[in-house]
Amino acid sequence: MHLTGSTPRMAADGGTRILEEKMAMKTSKRRFVVALVRAIAVGTGVAVGLAGPSAAQDAPRVPRVAPITIVINQSPWFAGFSAVVDAYEKATGNKVVLDVNPFAGSAEKQRNSVRAKEGQFDVLVMNSAWLAEIYHGGFLVPLNEIDPSFRIDPLVFNYDDTAYWDPKSRTNNAKTGQLYGIPINGNIQVLYYRNDLYRKAGLKVPQTLDELVANAAKLHDAPAVYGMAQRGARSASDISYDWMPYLHGSNGSIFRNEKEGDFTVTINSPEAKKALDAYVALAQKSGPPNPGSWGQAQVIQALLTGKAAHATPVIAAWSQVDDPAKSAVVGLIDAAPVPHGPGGKSTPTLGHFIGAIPKNVPRDRQVAALAFLRWFQGREAQIVYAKAGQPPIRRDVYDEPFMKTPPYRWTKAVLESAPNARMMYTVPEGPQIVSILELRLNQALIGEKSPADALNTMAVEIQALMRGAGYKSERLPDLR
Amino acid sequence: MIAPRVKSVAMHAALAAAAMVVLLPVLWTALAAFKTQIALLRGDALFAPTLANFHELLFSRSSDYFAHFANSLVVATLSTALVLLVATLAAYSMVRMRWPPAVPALVLGFSLVFHMIPPITLVGPWYVMARALGVDDTYAALVLAHLTLHLPIGIAVMSVFVRDVPFELEEAARLDGCTTPQLLRRIVFPLVRPGLAATGILVFVFSWNEFAVALTLTGRHTATIPVAIARFAQEYEIKHGVMAAGAVLSVIPAILLLLFAQRSIVKGIIAGVGK
Amino acid sequence: MATAASGAARREGGAWRWLTLAPAATIYIALAVLPIANLVVMSFHDIRWADGIARWSAVGFRHYAELSRDPLFAAGLRNTVVFAVLAVGAEMVIGFVLAQWVSRAGRAEIVYRTVFLLPILLPGIVIGAIWKLMYNPDFGVVNQMLALAGIAGRDWLGDRALALGSVIAVDVWHWTPFVFLLLLAGLQSLPQDVHEAAKVDGAGTWTELRYVTLPMMLPTIAVTFAFRLIVSFKVFDEVYLLTGGGPGTATEVVSFTIYRRFFTEDRMGYGSAISVVVLFLLALTIVLALAATRRARERAAS
Repeated sequence: MHLTGSTPRMAADGGTRILEEKMAMKTSKRRFVVALVRAIAVGTGVAVGLAGPSAAQDAPRVPRVAPITIVINQSPWFAGFSAVVDAYEKATGNKVVLDVNPFAGSAEKQRNSVRAKEGQFDVLVMNSAWLAEIYHGGFLVPLNEIDPSFRIDPLVFNYDDTAYWDPKSRTNNAKTGQLYGIPINGNIQVLYYRNDLYRKAGLKVPQTLDELVANAAKLHDAPAVYGMAQRGARSASDISYDWMPYLHGSNGSIFRNEKEGDFTVTINSPEAKKALDAYVALAQKSGPPNPGSWGQAQVIQALLTGKAAHATPVIAAWSQVDDPAKSAVVGLIDAAPVPHGPGGKSTPTLGHFIGAIPKNVPRDRQVAALAFLRWFQGREAQIVYAKAGQPPIRRDVYDEPFMKTPPYRWTKAVLESAPNARMMYTVPEGPQIVSILELRLNQALIGEKSPADALNTMAVEIQALMRGAGYKSERLPDLR
Repeated sequence: MIAPRVKSVAMHAALAAAAMVVLLPVLWTALAAFKTQIALLRGDALFAPTLANFHELLFSRSSDYFAHFANSLVVATLSTALVLLVATLAAYSMVRMRWPPAVPALVLGFSLVFHMIPPITLVGPWYVMARALGVDDTYAALVLAHLTLHLPIGIAVMSVFVRDVPFELEEAARLDGCTTPQLLRRIVFPLVRPGLAATGILVFVFSWNEFAVALTLTGRHTATIPVAIARFAQEYEIKHGVMAAGAVLSVIPAILLLLFAQRSIVKGIIAGVGK
Repeated sequence: MATAASGAARREGGAWRWLTLAPAATIYIALAVLPIANLVVMSFHDIRWADGIARWSAVGFRHYAELSRDPLFAAGLRNTVVFAVLAVGAEMVIGFVLAQWVSRAGRAEIVYRTVFLLPILLPGIVIGAIWKLMYNPDFGVVNQMLALAGIAGRDWLGDRALALGSVIAVDVWHWTPFVFLLLLAGLQSLPQDVHEAAKVDGAGTWTELRYVTLPMMLPTIAVTFAFRLIVSFKVFDEVYLLTGGGPGTATEVVSFTIYRRFFTEDRMGYGSAISVVVLFLLALTIVLALAATRRARERAAS
């Protein structure tokens, strides 16, 4: 009862001390366990290798390891993930427990576990929304500390270096950082458009923002069909997530160079203004009557009911498109890379998931967790994943014949734009920055502020926020 | 004699109208459980009923609805019983014992104010405690949390009812040699039954539907129904039909409780008036 | 009179005085007072995690100063007050009328009681998802019904002028059962002889209500009202699921701001400061309300 009365500060400090002592005591024992496990691993590998020289290189051999618990959120792609877990259990005889949570509250659940003395979860499946918090909090163990020989497969998409972390510069940087995780789901935005309306109007699939604005206006036939359905709402992350690909795709950004630690605020650049002008134009010329209240659910609803000619949801929403129980537009939607601004390239925003291993679990479970991640990035696992309708994280799986069939007509768009995908933010202040963006972008969309005014206000607020948090931060001169 | 009848008819008409307003969204939810997602999204008035939602809710691979149901039953029942017991004892102590006036004022005032704090800000410390005691992902953690959350309303409401227990009855019982526990069992608890029934229903329902705390303090073994239903409110696909199906099944115990408590309330009144 | 029993009649109680209060007191202290004290301490600190360790740095009153500049907090406070007053006012009136009627409905009582309690039985998350569909301007059942009556539909949650009202309507629908149930229990525990005495005295329904029922129900009404009012200050589920605080800041409420700052942005210090301020404002309101009630009662007595 005494411990319960202490404040988290005492619990945390005291807890760490206790933890360190325990660690010191356990390290020698652990080293032995790790060595033993590795010895067995090598032994089994050799044995299997001798027995069958034909064993395919894409099926990594996995030793018998401790049972692990993976924390993950329920989602349309969860079915694919659990199919891979089943395949892993069947192939290796290892046991995996899934702690499946609603998306709302998943971040809190993982946060609680990594902040505790000993964690509940051995693999965290983290969404890009809380990735920065977990990296900066120093809760994860570098994968090569568990096994120095571990490498990420070069065929796995890079996803803006998000599997790497450099604790010194505190950035996601593959060159200077260490590997901390494996991408679990490569969720990015694509442009969903109505192929039937395109055929009828004789339109060409848009590559630039201007083309999208023009096409949306042509197909706009309110109230029957809106030319464009966008997330205009202010929430934890609605309008900023939807607008971000236009910002990045117009060579704009929130900061000059986050990866190199340059936090000069550039959100009030002329490029950003062009991107915002286009977003507002899309809403005004071809959007619904109150675009400022549309969240993700409403956008997807409009798309599935045939009320939207275009929208840019994430690829994870695709599984509903061709299901007659969920969609009134079966077969009528195609996917293309999200359009970009002048001089830019299609730059979807990451809404992906990274699987990583926390520090505060025993080493034998860390070893077991890594065994799973190693298997997960393999070709065999990713084929299982793709067959469940999910975007694989490996390039080579996209060449499989089944990936060329009509149900997989989205793959080209993903394959083309996934390499350019960008994070919305990589600093722990990210959610606060987004909160500023959400409010000011929403005000610009509903006409409470002019785009220039909204961007200038954001710049001032973000700079103040960053300075308050101890960053060196300048900002561009005000837009007029 | 006509006027009262007209009045009574008017009253029943008004009640029926009110019942319709209350019922429509509930019926709409119940119907949603039998619709496909696209029928729901399009707001189709006519639809071909389907059991697919119930199937996904109960029998899909990742579903464990029956286990969650049992968890909810255990947590809600235990925490309700504890709230009623602890709250009535506290109410009795404050109303009938000679405390300095500041004590009841403090307890009641704190009950009110404490109820205001978003429970979500308390969850962090509670989780730390539960981990420290090794009771996270056990019933104990969630039952204690729900007891804490709903004790305030228990104490406030039960104080009102305990105050109305005739003091003369207590005095008489004391003269007959009743000890305090006997007095509580024979006089106080039976007489405050309407209060217990009302508070009990409320606490049971609150505990049954509580989400934020349950999400944090439970795990795979102890997750309750709201946590299970929330899983279908997915980030990219809100499965309205399945959520509605989960809700339809989840109200069954509460409705049974209502019908059962109905009788107990009436009994309580008769017992109270009869004495 | 039953009321005569209240107040003065108390006993020493000996050990039982302590034993009966101890369980509640223990729970309050361990699981409520300490976490709140923790909240207060946190509100004077910035808490950041690095290398898996929490680092606390004292910031004095900086968080409290920041509150005055937080655009969400100001909007949230205003909306919360509007929300609490309108929603709880409506719930009290409707709940009392329904309780009165149902208590006289005779055999049909059980049916009505069960029907009127249905909304409170549904999980909050389902209520949010379902009402969002019903409010949808293009496909929602609300606009469909209005269309049947020849009335043009509205964008209930998207229109800034309507959004808060639409959220309040859901709250009234959801929470009137709470008021109804407690008031009904209160009505039914009133001694029957009082009503009969009133009838014998020839009191009309209105007179009886004004001079007999209402005064005797006052404690129940007060407790119910206080609880609803306070709970309405932490309104969260409906807003979270229906509007997320938008459009603009039209439906931002305080508890939502706390959630956003405390959890989404992981600013435990600043989030705690908001909680503490709201808690303080509320405690102040309660104290003032109690003082006003006491003065009114004294004036009525003299």
